[in-house]
Amino acid sequence: MTDFAPPARLCDPVTLEIVRGAIRAAQAEMEALIERTAMSAFIREKKDFYTALFDAEGVMAVGSNVPVFGDICGPVFRKFAPDTMQPGDLYWYNDCYGSRGAVSHSNDQVFLAPVFHAGRRVAFVMGWAHFADIGGLRPGSISPDATDIFQEGIIVPPTKLIAAGTINEAALDIFYRNSRFPRAAQGDTRALMASVELGVARMAEIAGRFGAEVLADALRQLFERTRETVRERLKQTFPVGTWRFTDRIDGDGHGSGPLRIRFALTRTPDDRFILDATETDDQSVGPVNFLMNPDVPGMALGLYFLGGEAAQVVNAGGPRALDEVRLREGSLVQPRFPAALGMRGLTMMRVLAALNGLVSVAGGEAPAAHAAYVIMLLRGTAGGKPFLMSDGIGVGYGARAFADGIDAVYFVAQENYPVEFLEQEYPVRMRRYGIHADSGGPGRWRGGCGIVREYEVMAEEAVMAIRIDGVENPPWGAGGGMSGRPGRVTVNPGTPQERVLRPLSDGNRLVRGDILRIETGGGGGRGHPFDRPAEAVLADVLGGFVSMDAAARDYGVAVREGAVDAAATEGLRADRPAAKEFHRGSYAHVLD
Amino acid sequence: MSSTDALARPWSIAVDIGGTFTDITIQDTASGRAWTAKTPSTPHDPSEAFLTGVRLALEAAEGAASGVGRVLHGTTVATNMILEGKGAKAALVTTAGFRHVLDIGRQDIPRRVNLHAWVKPERPVPPARVFEVTERVSAQGEVLVPLDEATVRAAAEACRAAGVSAVAVCLLHAFTAPEHERRVAEMLRAALPGVAVTASSDVLPVVREYERSLATILNAQVMPAVSTYVQRLEERLEGEGVAAPLLLMKSNGGVAGAAAIRRAPAVTALSGPAAGVVGARAIAAAAGFPDIITVDIGGTSADICLMKGGEIRLTQTGHIGDWPLPLPMVDMVTIGAGGGSLARVTAAGALAVGPESADAVPGPACYGRGGTRATVTDAHVALGHLPPSLLGGRMTLDVPAARQAVQDNVATPLGLDLHAAARGILAIADSNMVGAVRVVSVERGHDPRDFALVPFGGAGPLHGCALADLLGIRAVLVPPSPGVLCAQGLLAADLKAEFSRSLSDATPEVVEAGYAALEEEAAAWFAEEQVPPARRETHRVALMRYAGQGGELAVPWPGGMSAAAAAFAAQHKALYGFDLPEGTAELVTLRLEAVGQLSGTITAPLPPGRGAAPMGHHTVHFASGTREAALYDRAALGAGDHFAGPAIVTQLDATTLVPPGWEAQMDASGALVLRRQENAA
Repeated sequence: MTDFAPPARLCDPVTLEIVRGAIRAAQAEMEALIERTAMSAFIREKKDFYTALFDAEGVMAVGSNVPVFGDICGPVFRKFAPDTMQPGDLYWYNDCYGSRGAVSHSNDQVFLAPVFHAGRRVAFVMGWAHFADIGGLRPGSISPDATDIFQEGIIVPPTKLIAAGTINEAALDIFYRNSRFPRAAQGDTRALMASVELGVARMAEIAGRFGAEVLADALRQLFERTRETVRERLKQTFPVGTWRFTDRIDGDGHGSGPLRIRFALTRTPDDRFILDATETDDQSVGPVNFLMNPDVPGMALGLYFLGGEAAQVVNAGGPRALDEVRLREGSLVQPRFPAALGMRGLTMMRVLAALNGLVSVAGGEAPAAHAAYVIMLLRGTAGGKPFLMSDGIGVGYGARAFADGIDAVYFVAQENYPVEFLEQEYPVRMRRYGIHADSGGPGRWRGGCGIVREYEVMAEEAVMAIRIDGVENPPWGAGGGMSGRPGRVTVNPGTPQERVLRPLSDGNRLVRGDILRIETGGGGGRGHPFDRPAEAVLADVLGGFVSMDAAARDYGVAVREGAVDAAATEGLRADRPAAKEFHRGSYAHVLD
Repeated sequence: MSSTDALARPWSIAVDIGGTFTDITIQDTASGRAWTAKTPSTPHDPSEAFLTGVRLALEAAEGAASGVGRVLHGTTVATNMILEGKGAKAALVTTAGFRHVLDIGRQDIPRRVNLHAWVKPERPVPPARVFEVTERVSAQGEVLVPLDEATVRAAAEACRAAGVSAVAVCLLHAFTAPEHERRVAEMLRAALPGVAVTASSDVLPVVREYERSLATILNAQVMPAVSTYVQRLEERLEGEGVAAPLLLMKSNGGVAGAAAIRRAPAVTALSGPAAGVVGARAIAAAAGFPDIITVDIGGTSADICLMKGGEIRLTQTGHIGDWPLPLPMVDMVTIGAGGGSLARVTAAGALAVGPESADAVPGPACYGRGGTRATVTDAHVALGHLPPSLLGGRMTLDVPAARQAVQDNVATPLGLDLHAAARGILAIADSNMVGAVRVVSVERGHDPRDFALVPFGGAGPLHGCALADLLGIRAVLVPPSPGVLCAQGLLAADLKAEFSRSLSDATPEVVEAGYAALEEEAAAWFAEEQVPPARRETHRVALMRYAGQGGELAVPWPGGMSAAAAAFAAQHKALYGFDLPEGTAELVTLRLEAVGQLSGTITAPLPPGRGAAPMGHHTVHFASGTREAALYDRAALGAGDHFAGPAIVTQLDATTLVPPGWEAQMDASGALVLRRQENAA
């Protein structure tokens, strides 16, 4: 049972479900508003925004299915006591260090507002979005070249942007003036403000309909339900003892690497769960540092344990299921101010994989590792006008114990720029956009495949930043499955001028007519590849996901004239390679 | 025989083919008198029941085949094929380099799913059947790489080898420059006789290659079946001596002739629900309610739609199942909540209702076909909302089985008593529907309290008053035949089509020329549909946004850009809470909405009643206490008859629950109007 006496339940199970549905509906409405009204392509096409609702004390009650959020309200409360807040207030920040990693790079703007009903504070509403440019070293604000956070755009500490309905226009003016694209920044700000305002109105209506006490109890129950579920699943997964897993990123783009993320999860005999990340490598010069809020590991494990149950809610119950998170200041996942953070997504994605690894080491069947989504920023001049194109490119996700890894996806809720949109808006022409064959890690369940995206540069001149990881340390496979195959970035491939770019680099000069080919990595496989049904391998070959050579080499399946050659396949599969628990380039019992 | 002549003939016939029964309504367009007939559906060849129905209707009305002016039909052939993934075996032909356009899609994991559990849905065409042709057109429409016809011939050969019966052609930027795509389609048609070939520029000439490819594929996949089906219906009618046009309901709430449907059958994807919405509008108009919210509750889902001033809004961002389908369709929201939705308690102790549902077999526990899981219908039965026999005595409900299912699946696990558990199931189903009503009302800037609720579908009238209570709505209109409203919709529908064109530069000259070109397209369509000039109507609409935004708002074109910008800003503020005074409003797309007015229906007035007399009583367990509810037979009620809740009104196709605090009155239009009593507790 729980370690505290459950309070009397004011909200019955039926009302609880209705309140949950109403909050979800409010959230959907907020998201629809942002999507329809935001101005930058980053938000409206790529949809890099999220919303969440909190109880009156700032505990996240209904979040998004994105496991990267920290304690959003704390940073505001430390500066503005909740009891001094008034209806019509709106708080704003993007200060990573000032928020202890609640946001983890400065492009992400958090807008938070209290909700009042009958004069009493009953909830908080958050809207969050990635702004395309907030100043800094280069257009787009994040650059592999950055070496401290001041090069990554304007920093906004927790600020009261609206005081009881009165907007601090001066603060906004300063902010817009710091952007290279002030009109988009202004449009996005208005969209996000309107969305939070809408969320506040909806939550106030919910409080009015059910009563503040019932709402408070409902939010507490949603939190408790998640916490108890996650805690129960932690106990089922991890026997008493310490479980360790290490994953790596290739490097920081400034000469150091590989960089290791070392996690140890301990379950004590009295059932305390302690996550220790202190043995992670030191922070880096380049901007791959991930200022990990202590809530993130629990949020991520929570998302895994909640699985596909639609009635479950991702919230602070995940983090609170862990009793302690130990971090070491000066490490890659807890850098010291003012280390650069812009490209932290890379480390963040490996942190999520490492948590899956912990589950696997303890005998659970979490997904194999996924590749980190790829980002390219192209800036330059076309037709005399400056432009900034921030393209996010999908990768392959890790194979599950019940299904292949997801092919060609970026991340939760983030969409691509359609080719036809891209060519209308930016000085590029797309030559190819397809599946990166053989990138998915072979396995009984295949890792998801990455993408090939090939551009022709139409701008007179441009400078490109690229971030792609897992080139030297590809996403691992598990349970006999093999690692995904890495991506790479090439200029003018197949010509005498061919050059392979450094995977994490900026300042790459391109001129009109250059061909840029980005191939992204695949996810790790799960289970022995020789156990994959030959027909599934055939479908992959016919569909362009696996080459005939790889089918024979990795899966022991011979394909001839569009069909499985059964005799040859039997011969190949007779010589079955021995497998170990993990695979990264080669099989290993333990990864380091 | 021209349609002008046909329109002058007295009889209109509407045919609605359901899973079990085919319902036919024949109406004398002069007097408004209508007769209905019912015949078992014939799933192996639906046209059989269609024909039987037409004969029965003509017999009932003592009409002659030669007197039929039009035959109207709502079809679910396309809908079911798309939802069940059972369309024709198809191929996609695309620009070289873009073979995986479907597999990549928008490269996202949907916002509402758990990334660890989600599996990407299987695409309607596997990558092995996507063939590339060498060609390239720029975003501005210039040819960069001429079409290599050898690659088209190779694609045709690959299609033949794969044995497909439908091919979709979607080339990059074909919405701007369709020439390559048209040539490819032409070559494929010549090389592949008998194969249905669809070009994206004919189905949906709009930007975004993934969505356009999907719409083209879905269109191609349903084309062979819809085409055969429509042709068979036409032949049957002709054989019967009916020389009237066959008009089919489209997703946009209008009808179109068989030729237009054969070209773009995907426009019937929402044919059935759209017919219901149009029917609800006609019923509400006859009863004097122009502002309504419709809730169509079937076995597995509920469709919710809002109309203000009788206007049905369209959307181009709709979905069918897993797939975006950006064709103009009635702006409605569909959720997985219906009479068959299953109630269960999750491992974490939460009560969930739907979206899983009990299939037709075994169905809800109360149907007595061996079902043991609790459904929404079982909750109604457990509370006494349904009398123990339905369909005029043809179906007896297994009340103990319903009670047991609710007890075992919900009451016991949650520690609630039986009635509280049943009320909980209904409360959650109602709450889900209220959420959907809010999407079409509050999210679109409307206050639901300003509207009347029109519940229909077999399960709708059981939920009407409960939903109205939750939404603050004071009037509920139950249509005369809530279970077969499609027929009314068909009889009331007009011919409708939309024509649109995207602009890159909206100068006054370009806009005027653009609308003029669209008006020519509309004129050609009017001629094809044989609409006489007096019955033609067109509306210019401008789709506008602030520069940089991703979505547009539809503004009636006021004739000039500055007035349009002002109208846009006002709508933006009303919808989203802000406008941008200095922001540049852009005109992105011109749309012309064309309507060919048909005569429409006149509802024959209901004869005055002689006072409502209950035919019995039934025990109902309301939250406010257990009461004896009066049972009324809808067929016995006349205009002006009125009574107060608690009451249950039965009829063949639906049951209406009138809770305490509500009163009912039969309107002369035939609608049963329920109103909340002013001083109700």
